[in-house]
Amino acid sequence: MAQQLAIIVLVDIGNALETNTLEGNTYLFDNMKLHGSEGQGTGDLVTAIHGAYWRDGSQATEQVLNWLPYSLGSIPPTVPRSYQSDRARQSDEQALAELEAVTAKAGAPGADPTPELDHIRQVAGRRVKTTRRTRGRLSGQKVLDVTGQVVTEATAAYSYPGPVITDIYGQAVDEKIMYPAEYGSPDLVTDGWYWSATVDSSRPGTYAYTMRIQLHKLVQRGGETLWEPVNLTCESKLLITSEPKRNGFTGAGLGWLPIAPQAAQPQTAQPQTAQPQTAQPQTPQPQTPQSAAPQPGAPQFPQSAGQPQAPATPHS
Amino acid sequence: MAQKPQINIIAVVDVIGALSGRTLQNGNLCLVDNGDHSSTGQGTTDLCTFVRPGQVVQWSALAVDLQTPVDIKSITFLGPDGTPSPLGRRDANGESEKLDLEHWAGMVPPFLPPGVPHRYRLELQMYEGEHSVLHVDTPALLRV
Repeated sequence: MAQQLAIIVLVDIGNALETNTLEGNTYLFDNMKLHGSEGQGTGDLVTAIHGAYWRDGSQATEQVLNWLPYSLGSIPPTVPRSYQSDRARQSDEQALAELEAVTAKAGAPGADPTPELDHIRQVAGRRVKTTRRTRGRLSGQKVLDVTGQVVTEATAAYSYPGPVITDIYGQAVDEKIMYPAEYGSPDLVTDGWYWSATVDSSRPGTYAYTMRIQLHKLVQRGGETLWEPVNLTCESKLLITSEPKRNGFTGAGLGWLPIAPQAAQPQTAQPQTAQPQTAQPQTPQPQTPQSAAPQPGAPQFPQSAGQPQAPATPHS
Repeated sequence: MAQKPQINIIAVVDVIGALSGRTLQNGNLCLVDNGDHSSTGQGTTDLCTFVRPGQVVQWSALAVDLQTPVDIKSITFLGPDGTPSPLGRRDANGESEKLDLEHWAGMVPPFLPPGVPHRYRLELQMYEGEHSVLHVDTPALLRV
């Protein structure tokens, strides 16, 4: 099994929402630079996929792609899953405690509770209304900044919910080069879901695909604060190559293992089950790759294409 | 029991552990096989695989963390003094970027003397660069 490929989709959500496009606001990375991926860290990533096939033309390796969307300027996805609602509850508790203190002082002559009430409003923050669309992880939240503090002022910076891939489609899917699907995952960093695909590497070429990505915009409507979904798309490409598998020992097909008969001397460290031999059979020396005509009786090592080949299909 | 036509040897590599410690020891490499005889050292770097002439032995590398790269760079059988055998390909080192195309398999030669371990050097490459290649000289094949 080959290395699994990860494609990271890093989105500058604030700018993407402002300009209403992912173009110029998406940074793509994969872990296949070694195999020739280009455009790492830009919006124009071309993911290189090395395919391989056996002598009979059948596909020899299975390539698996995984997409991981991340956000620039958000609370990291690695915080506990309940972090946002915990922070909302803590701010409620603090506001209630301060309100209690203000109430206790309210009867005193000359007391002006305005500064305290202002402070309580700061502490309470802004709750985001839960709608049918934002039920689930986004429900019961307050607006927080990237440090986890509640945000009260409408003009202050705040943390966006992470980007969500909602579809992968386009040429590479239409032409059945890859088969993407969304899978459930025990990893809550990806919100319990991730997109993955297997690749048919038998048709080399460059194939484009499109990701539909859902972001959330904070809007005020009727005096309420809402996370409104915004669907945008971004494109990327797969560059698929395919080459024949070759035998590591021979450079071609299957042959004898290149063990020199003189290597077969008694050794001091042997497994308990081994039968030590005191007298080794005098086996003729095999030919090295550079040697000339084979000697009678010498074992032959296939060195190049054109040698008779044993079936090379593996059973892994 | 009929002899298996093929034995698979899998090198399970903790790539991050191996690169961090610059060693395949300390549990960073575990070798296992599915031979039909009682191979010794399963799960260690001292795997001694029991084989019979004509059997195909196939090696493959598998990363513990599937998103890390590891490939077999070479397998070289060693002489009794531990020096690499002159047999085998000499041109194998020039194409490191295509290691994933190499399929490491071969038949056990009929002349192989029984009862003695034939040690081999297993060289693994993890990504590329100065410290990307590590090897062990301890695994062996033994003809029963």
